[in-house]
Amino acid sequence: MGLISGMLMGIVFGIALMAGWKHMMRYRSNKRIAKAVDIKSLSSLNRDDLKKICGENFPEWISFPVFEQVKWLNKQLSKLWPFVADAAEAIIKESVEPLLEEYRTPGITSIKFSKLSLGTVAPKIEGIRVQSLKKGQITMDIDLRWGGNPNIILAIEAALVASIPIQLKDLKVFTVVRAIFQLAEEIPCISAVVVALLAEPKPRIDYTLKAIGGSLTAIPGLSDMIDDTVHSIITDMLQWPHRIVVPIGGMPVDTSELELKPQGKLTVAVVRANNLKNKELIGKSDPYVVVYIRPLFKVKTKVIENNLNPVWNQTFELIVEDKETQSLILEVFDQDVGQDERLGVAKLPMIELEAEISKEIELRLLPSLDMLKIKDKKDRGTLTIQVLYHEFNKEEQLAALEEEKRILEERKKLKEAGVIGSTMDALDGAASLVGSGVGLVGSGLGAGAGIVGSGLGAFGSGLSKAGKFMGRTITGQSNASKRSGSSTPVNSVQENGGAKPL
Amino acid sequence: MGFFSTILGFCGFGVGVSTGLVIGYYLFIYFQPSDVKDPVIRPLVEHDSQSLQQLLPEIPLWVKNPDYDRIDWLNKFLELMWPYLDKAICKTAKNIAKPIIAEQIPKYKIESVEFEELTLGSLPPTFQGMKVFVTEEKELIMEPSLKWAGNPNVTLGVKAFGLKATVQAVDLQIFAQPRITLKPLVPSFPCFAKIFVSLMEKPHVDFGLKLFGADLMSIPGLYMFVQELIKDQVANMYLWPKTLEVEILDPTKAMMRPVGIVHVKVLRAMKLRKKDLLGGSDPYVKLKITESKAPSKKTTVKHKNLNPEWNEEFSIVVKDPESQALEFIVYDWEQVGKHDKMGMNVVPLKELTPNEPKVMTLDLLKNLNQNDAQDDKFRGQLVVELTYKPFKEGDTSKDLDNPLQKAPEGTPPSGGVLVVIVHEAQDVEGKHHTNPYVRIIFNGEERKTKHVKKNRDPRWDEEFTFVLEEPPLKEKLHVEVLSTSTRIGLLHPKETLGYVNISLADVVNNKRINEKYHLIDSKNGKIQIELQWRTSS
Repeated sequence: MGLISGMLMGIVFGIALMAGWKHMMRYRSNKRIAKAVDIKSLSSLNRDDLKKICGENFPEWISFPVFEQVKWLNKQLSKLWPFVADAAEAIIKESVEPLLEEYRTPGITSIKFSKLSLGTVAPKIEGIRVQSLKKGQITMDIDLRWGGNPNIILAIEAALVASIPIQLKDLKVFTVVRAIFQLAEEIPCISAVVVALLAEPKPRIDYTLKAIGGSLTAIPGLSDMIDDTVHSIITDMLQWPHRIVVPIGGMPVDTSELELKPQGKLTVAVVRANNLKNKELIGKSDPYVVVYIRPLFKVKTKVIENNLNPVWNQTFELIVEDKETQSLILEVFDQDVGQDERLGVAKLPMIELEAEISKEIELRLLPSLDMLKIKDKKDRGTLTIQVLYHEFNKEEQLAALEEEKRILEERKKLKEAGVIGSTMDALDGAASLVGSGVGLVGSGLGAGAGIVGSGLGAFGSGLSKAGKFMGRTITGQSNASKRSGSSTPVNSVQENGGAKPL
Repeated sequence: MGFFSTILGFCGFGVGVSTGLVIGYYLFIYFQPSDVKDPVIRPLVEHDSQSLQQLLPEIPLWVKNPDYDRIDWLNKFLELMWPYLDKAICKTAKNIAKPIIAEQIPKYKIESVEFEELTLGSLPPTFQGMKVFVTEEKELIMEPSLKWAGNPNVTLGVKAFGLKATVQAVDLQIFAQPRITLKPLVPSFPCFAKIFVSLMEKPHVDFGLKLFGADLMSIPGLYMFVQELIKDQVANMYLWPKTLEVEILDPTKAMMRPVGIVHVKVLRAMKLRKKDLLGGSDPYVKLKITESKAPSKKTTVKHKNLNPEWNEEFSIVVKDPESQALEFIVYDWEQVGKHDKMGMNVVPLKELTPNEPKVMTLDLLKNLNQNDAQDDKFRGQLVVELTYKPFKEGDTSKDLDNPLQKAPEGTPPSGGVLVVIVHEAQDVEGKHHTNPYVRIIFNGEERKTKHVKKNRDPRWDEEFTFVLEEPPLKEKLHVEVLSTSTRIGLLHPKETLGYVNISLADVVNNKRINEKYHLIDSKNGKIQIELQWRTSS
């Protein structure tokens, strides 16, 4: 009896114990999960949530801007700045100098930093926004403002003038930096970072240039040249959709997805302009049009003299990298002795275009692209163009990429060969800057032959077409000088010479 | 009989309990699912007031305290990255654990241990606010409030004696408030040399540990005990002021401290190429060390001489003999206008053997560009003697962490050395010009810093020392910020931007003081001065 009742009691007790344990388990588990849920739901609050939690006692010091404020980071940054500045100076010197070399215009033989100090004022991060626009990528936008007091002295050497130190002062940078992190499943979990400046709002980089012990006018158009160099570095390298891709973590990753690739081809026919403004005292303007998507690859029509309603009917092909954000820019200039004057500019966002449909568009010319700066509503005439957008397939894309690489390579070679460094080139390089007095090119010969994009020869595949992109520095001098490579753009100039208004 | 049946009863109870436990185990626990489900998270708007009430204790610090900043962007970043981090961490953890397990198991007669499941769950850690502290020292201090209430699932399958057991850890929760200090700050990326981490409070740790599916942690009392044990263990190691130190850069290298001196003797030059149209050139040599902000040094000018002899000596401080190089540039002096460059050359310091004089004859080049076509011309030669003397080992790296040094030998026993480091000033403003420099007057001795041009927030970081016979208990230090006009003019040549008198008794007592002082006769000017009192004992 005792045994059985003992056993029964034991079983009941044992089961009860287990049941109790299980109950306890469930209780504790639920408690933990509830806490986890609470913490998760509190991890990102918005205004309404907070209002609901706090009710009447809403803390006034809290706000919810689109770009989240990072006061703590700014505090740390200002403390850290002297050290960051020191470290950055060395890196900038190393990495930017070759860049300057690449982008320098022909009038100048070398640009170097003779002094580089980033000053004592730390940049301020106005806000940070994190979003995920694409799976596997994190997009971080940093609203950066820097009104610093850096002291940057550039030693610029032009062929005719000895080294002139040029001081860059009052640098102000207001921009939104976009960093895209490509995620990976290996530590450190980020395989590459893409850095770019957001185009909207447009990056604002202000500075003043001051020549030390001399005047900026010593070389004609020098300040324009520097402006242009800086401008093209920014717009062509950094401004979205252009980007810098930095692989991280030392593992071999395929970053080609992230790199900017030719996406399509835009065929632009500059047909005519109407009612252009007359800028000249005697006679009428001598208009020509500069067409580009990337400032690095500019093309230009012939000059039609003494005409306010010129008809060009010239066709160009341009590469499109990002149809969604890039725009076609058309600038109409009046060719003049010395500085060419801009008659107006027009912009065509390519997102409006449909693929494979040819379209004639009449664009109104504006005094400037910056809508905030336009105050006069005067009519500057119109520009009629015909556009056709063609989207590349894989092979075409690769071909275009190769072509682009080849051109840049060639350009570099030409530069290295000292072509651009020669006195002759320096002369017109200095006098005729990108998009301005191209008239002097080719020893004042045909006026306005060739192209704007410094030294850039042929581009795209349609080499045979007339009025293609011709290297400005090459035009007119190709015969005289030593270079006559078989595959260089020089030849293409000669081949197409007939079609060109040389 | 009664006795016998009681014994039997106890025996039966014993058997019964074990049977009951087994039945209970199979009834209640064995069939419990062992996988971890993702918890359902409802948006806050759907919560009723009661469940909101429950949330209140967990309200993030940035809501409660104005001195905590919200770092939602970091949370969001972490959340987006979490699936990748999870996989990466688990993979690494598995790889690390495998050899360790393989090494350990033979000792315990266990056949195999392997991860049946290893994931960190879907819930990422969150930062509930970030607080930073700003001090006068060269350090960054931040205190994030870290809360990780995750749903990880770590299941270990252990096989031993033919039996298989599973150990499962679930629902790990860690709440901690670490203090992260980055110091010392150095002028090379990432701009700090070490990371110090310590916990400001005992962390909260909670988890479930399931053995055969039964959560051991829910045995009453055991959880408390284990949690206390963990807390104490962690606290013993990392509770402030104990810290975990992680070295990022070698501070000696990163600080770019001088490691030696190179003695340069510019002997002579030969066959310099003529630059002046009339007469010979007037050469002088400018020498400079690369990657340094120190001003370059010049020899005297030898007029009308294409084979000048200088025999002049210079000493240059070296910070990194591996990468630095000496640059010699021969210039042609001119009365008016720009001095022409006659040629140059560079000697990398790694070519020198320490403590051994080396005479070098350098061909002068136009520039350093190797493939410059115009470079072939002979521009003359320069003869120099170089001796690199590195500092003795230990001289350099001592007291890097401890800014308080001992007084050098030869100071009087009762006295010591007063070190004044002028760091920086803020908001100094002159009426007519602001080119500030600092003048220190102590015991009639006057010292000056260099001028900083047109700057309202100048930074000097200059150090001055005064050797004293006895502690300056009653003396005061007069620190004055002045500005001189850059233009040569009779109007306002000099201006006082503010001054402050610092009594030195505190320094003697505290050995070291690093503070910002408000300047007298200045609107909001402040100056940061570090004072040290070094004694020989």
